Amino acid sequence: MKTPNFTGWRAVILHQEDGNTERLCRQLGLLGIRTSQQWSPLVADDLPDLILVDADQGWDDLLPWVSQAPSRPVVALLASEAPGRIAWALRQGACAIIAKPIATSAIYPALVMATSMHRERENNKRHVSHLEERLRLRPMVFAAIEKLKAERRIDDERAYATLRDCAMRRRMPIEQIAAFFLGGSEPLSEVG
Amino acid sequence: MVDALKIGILFSTTGPYGSMGRDARHGAEFAFSEYRQKGGFQVEPVFFDPHADLNAYLEGARSLLRDANCRHIVGTITSAARKEVLPLIEKHDGLLWYMCPYEGFEANENAIYIGGCPNQHLVPLFEHLIPRYGARPYLVGANYVWGWEMNRLARELVTNAGGVVLGERYLPLEETAVERIIADIAERRPSFVLNNLIGPSSYAFLEAMNDLAKRDPAFAPENCPVVSCDLMECELDDIRPGAALGQLCAASYFDTLATAENRAFKARVNAWHGSNRRVSSVFASAYTAVNLCIQAIEASGNDEPRRVRREILDHAWPTLFGDMVIDPDSNHAALPFHLGRINKDRGFDVIASRPALAADPYLTGGKRREPPKLRVIS
Repeated sequence: MKTPNFTGWRAVILHQEDGNTERLCRQLGLLGIRTSQQWSPLVADDLPDLILVDADQGWDDLLPWVSQAPSRPVVALLASEAPGRIAWALRQGACAIIAKPIATSAIYPALVMATSMHRERENNKRHVSHLEERLRLRPMVFAAIEKLKAERRIDDERAYATLRDCAMRRRMPIEQIAAFFLGGSEPLSEVG
Repeated sequence: MVDALKIGILFSTTGPYGSMGRDARHGAEFAFSEYRQKGGFQVEPVFFDPHADLNAYLEGARSLLRDANCRHIVGTITSAARKEVLPLIEKHDGLLWYMCPYEGFEANENAIYIGGCPNQHLVPLFEHLIPRYGARPYLVGANYVWGWEMNRLARELVTNAGGVVLGERYLPLEETAVERIIADIAERRPSFVLNNLIGPSSYAFLEAMNDLAKRDPAFAPENCPVVSCDLMECELDDIRPGAALGQLCAASYFDTLATAENRAFKARVNAWHGSNRRVSSVFASAYTAVNLCIQAIEASGNDEPRRVRREILDHAWPTLFGDMVIDPDSNHAALPFHLGRINKDRGFDVIASRPALAADPYLTGGKRREPPKLRVIS
């Protein structure tokens, strides 16, 4: 495991200035993070690496991704136990909570948690969209199998194996090979 | 007459790390003895001994803060004990003076750290060892956060150096059955062994490594040293005579440091003690913590922790560790690095040193900002 390192990061604290933000700034500075504090909506085209947001007072336009996946790791700063405020924090994409009043020992663990959860979430998102794309192209694979069966007088299993072997040799997704084949090019000549 | 201000002294003089606790307590006692000798009367110690019981640390801290009105506590040896008392000290807005080497990843506003974190001990230790012995170490440790985290960092340092960790084993505190670990080391033949064991486990391990070296010289200290960051002079008497000879340890202070300050200090310790005694790093750091705390209290005019902290962070303080600067952001002291080799007099010969290194408790890489400007006052 590599020691998490935030040196050179930029963070924004969306919170009214008080003892909590003061303590946060000090500790983030220790971690090598440049921090600014504001109590106004964040501009979408100038996002920091990390966002810490007041979930007690926060409103929907504070962060630029209502009902979308957050594009930066978010940590909620929360004193309330009200389910509505916790739900608000979740809607903003918070992956960790630092309870107020802030204990310095809570900050680094929350940052590590939020950034690794965010990274995992981004990886999952990429993985899901890749799988969705492949799923969308599945009918093409079926069509290619049907065409192969008819042209070469082979069974389902053989036709699928032909496509799969070709995909493996060319290191391409099977869907793409199917698309080539259906489009009239003959990528399968060397197999089968 | 105004009541004296109180500093709580919280060390366990029994249990697995009792010899360190006793030496630390002696260091604190010596600091007060010197203070009184110079006519000091404003500040007094209040001692509490938790006897290595984690719950008793909390009781002790509570009693020191609430009943004895201490606003400063010097003490705790282990991270587990420090973590136990810190929330209560924060609640009372007191100040903990922690003076042992620890695994880092902490910077509490209510603590002053003068014992060193990994960039001050483990990192320079590995920078010394890897080019000389190789990057294939074996890691052993006590089964709690000190052992786990030190070995995790060691693994990262070794990986960054292109090496490989040949084994990693843990023992519960006070466990002395080390045979299986020794057998594994004998088979894997590492380039050196990092020892993060504590107390009796550590002594049993060093003795068993000595037996192994007698059977196979490849495991003698000059070929495959056992290195630690927490072995001290006060513990060497608990190890079979000669068994630890030649093994290595990193520290910010050794009894044998050849400085005029250290020679004068040892002469005063011996006069106080009535006979020659070795000074361990924990004695020196507890002495320093108490001394700094008293000086900062006197300079601030009272024991209000915020003022004392401001005072202590304001400038460099002449200490046994050199002119000590405490970083105002992290509350950690800059500390020198020394590498000691255990000699036949049951002390350490200093074989390598580096001037004071600023603490980097979160291992950010030390490029956080400009180093603080030194200003020495005496």
